[in-house]
Amino acid sequence: MPEKQKNNDSIIEMQGVGIRYGQGAEILSDIKLSLKRGSFHFLTGKSGAGKTSLLSMMYLSQKPSRGNISVFDHNINFTDRDSLSMLRRRIGVVFQDFRLLEHLTAFDNVALPLRVCGMDEREVRKRVSELLRWVELDQHMLDTTATLSGGEKQRIAIARAVINRPELLLADEPTGNVDNFIAPKLMKLFVELNKLGTTVVIATHSDKLIKDFAYPRLHLQDRSLRILYPSDRSSLGGVL
Amino acid sequence: MTKTKYIARKQELPLKDDATGIFLQVIISIAVFIFAITLSGVLSINSMLHNWNQSILGSITVQIMPVNDANREKAAAETLAYQDKAVEFLKSVDGIIKVTPLTDQQLRGLIQPWLGDGVNIESLPMPRIIDVKLSPQADIDFAKLAQDLSAASPQASLDNHKLWLNKLIKFADGLKLIATTVLVLVIFITSGAIFYTTRMSLGLHRNIIEILHIMGAKDTYVAQQYAKRMAFLGLIGGLFGLLFGIPTIFFIGSLAAQIEGGIISEAALSISDWITILALPLLAMTISMLTAYYTVKNTLQKML
Repeated sequence: MPEKQKNNDSIIEMQGVGIRYGQGAEILSDIKLSLKRGSFHFLTGKSGAGKTSLLSMMYLSQKPSRGNISVFDHNINFTDRDSLSMLRRRIGVVFQDFRLLEHLTAFDNVALPLRVCGMDEREVRKRVSELLRWVELDQHMLDTTATLSGGEKQRIAIARAVINRPELLLADEPTGNVDNFIAPKLMKLFVELNKLGTTVVIATHSDKLIKDFAYPRLHLQDRSLRILYPSDRSSLGGVL
Repeated sequence: MTKTKYIARKQELPLKDDATGIFLQVIISIAVFIFAITLSGVLSINSMLHNWNQSILGSITVQIMPVNDANREKAAAETLAYQDKAVEFLKSVDGIIKVTPLTDQQLRGLIQPWLGDGVNIESLPMPRIIDVKLSPQADIDFAKLAQDLSAASPQASLDNHKLWLNKLIKFADGLKLIATTVLVLVIFITSGAIFYTTRMSLGLHRNIIEILHIMGAKDTYVAQQYAKRMAFLGLIGGLFGLLFGIPTIFFIGSLAAQIEGGIISEAALSISDWITILALPLLAMTISMLTAYYTVKNTLQKML
């Protein structure tokens, strides 16, 4: 049975979390984090700083080597498999390498989180068509994703992450492959979702993004996590 | 009319493209072929045992040994006289409801398959046979009956079938045990093949399964896709196996039918036996489906 913890307004809690692969050194050590419901954060740090590892623990793909993580008030060390699946349905993820199912169409990829939940197919068609129109890919909905450009794939990946109106949205470089016209539009989508109550964490290397949107940063450096608020930005020269 | 009306849903796991599909279909076809033939053997042996048991319960045979005399006509007449005495005695015994001496023609019919057409049966010293039907409630002491019978008719001997039939029944039971072992082995080997190909396929599609998990799919969601695919392969493989199995069963049946007056002719398959054999593709489908489903469930337990 999942261990339901004392309810508070944190959507993710990490205490003394460390992660290592095999017998190697820890990539992240003693991470302490409380991510408030409805917050918006950028996740920054040099390449190899552990951003992807931290995100993978947040979307419950990886357990920590040590420490405790609670997601939606459930300690994942004591949560059974089926309950973990139910928690994952409340999380939307955009991967840096998209991780689309290339043999499926754009439509089927975006529909995936809804079908996994067992949603009625008519409702699936309605929602997916609307969202694909919004990301300007309705003309490609029946194309397999293998035939789409990098930017188009990225928009499909984002559409797939938000189709289920997640409570937590985790995105790894979501605007890295789109042009200057689409990028602000996608960021606007994340901001709108955040205003509607979705907690957002966006991993990015983009200085421009961080400057344009004054949100706090979860900054990884030397295996540790620090939270930096917009006013601290000048102190971070060169770390992005 | 919107474009979305024409969208056909595609399975997330491209299991149709797995090269192991054809291999499994062939394995299942061969398994069902062997299973059908072996099962028809088991069912035939069952029907044969049933018929034999029925014959043990309801009747006995009395044999009148031919009298030895150089004068064949005199010997035949004496043998017949012994037969009459035996018939008279048997009719007086409680529990015997019918006493029927076999006619010359019936006796010839019994001996002909063993000696062929070219032998002059008339020249041989022929024993006489009396078929005796017993009452179902009869409580007969066969040893005493045999003693009394030879007192009444010295050339007569009692054969209650049990001795030699018991040996045949033991032999048939042995055959049945071997056939049942073959059936269990066929199921075991087929399940094993499905188990290993499913595990191989899970490794092949690991990335897709990870994505499905991240999207919130439970293990059952993945397991159902495998179960559905394996059920299809099991059904098609089973139908192919049966397609070759049924003519083979008929062929073996026609070979058995050539053994005239013999034991195997009693081994006919009933309608319910045929229904069981025809249901084998459904059995193959169910075994394939369940094996795949639980293999996936157990294997995925090891993933986060």
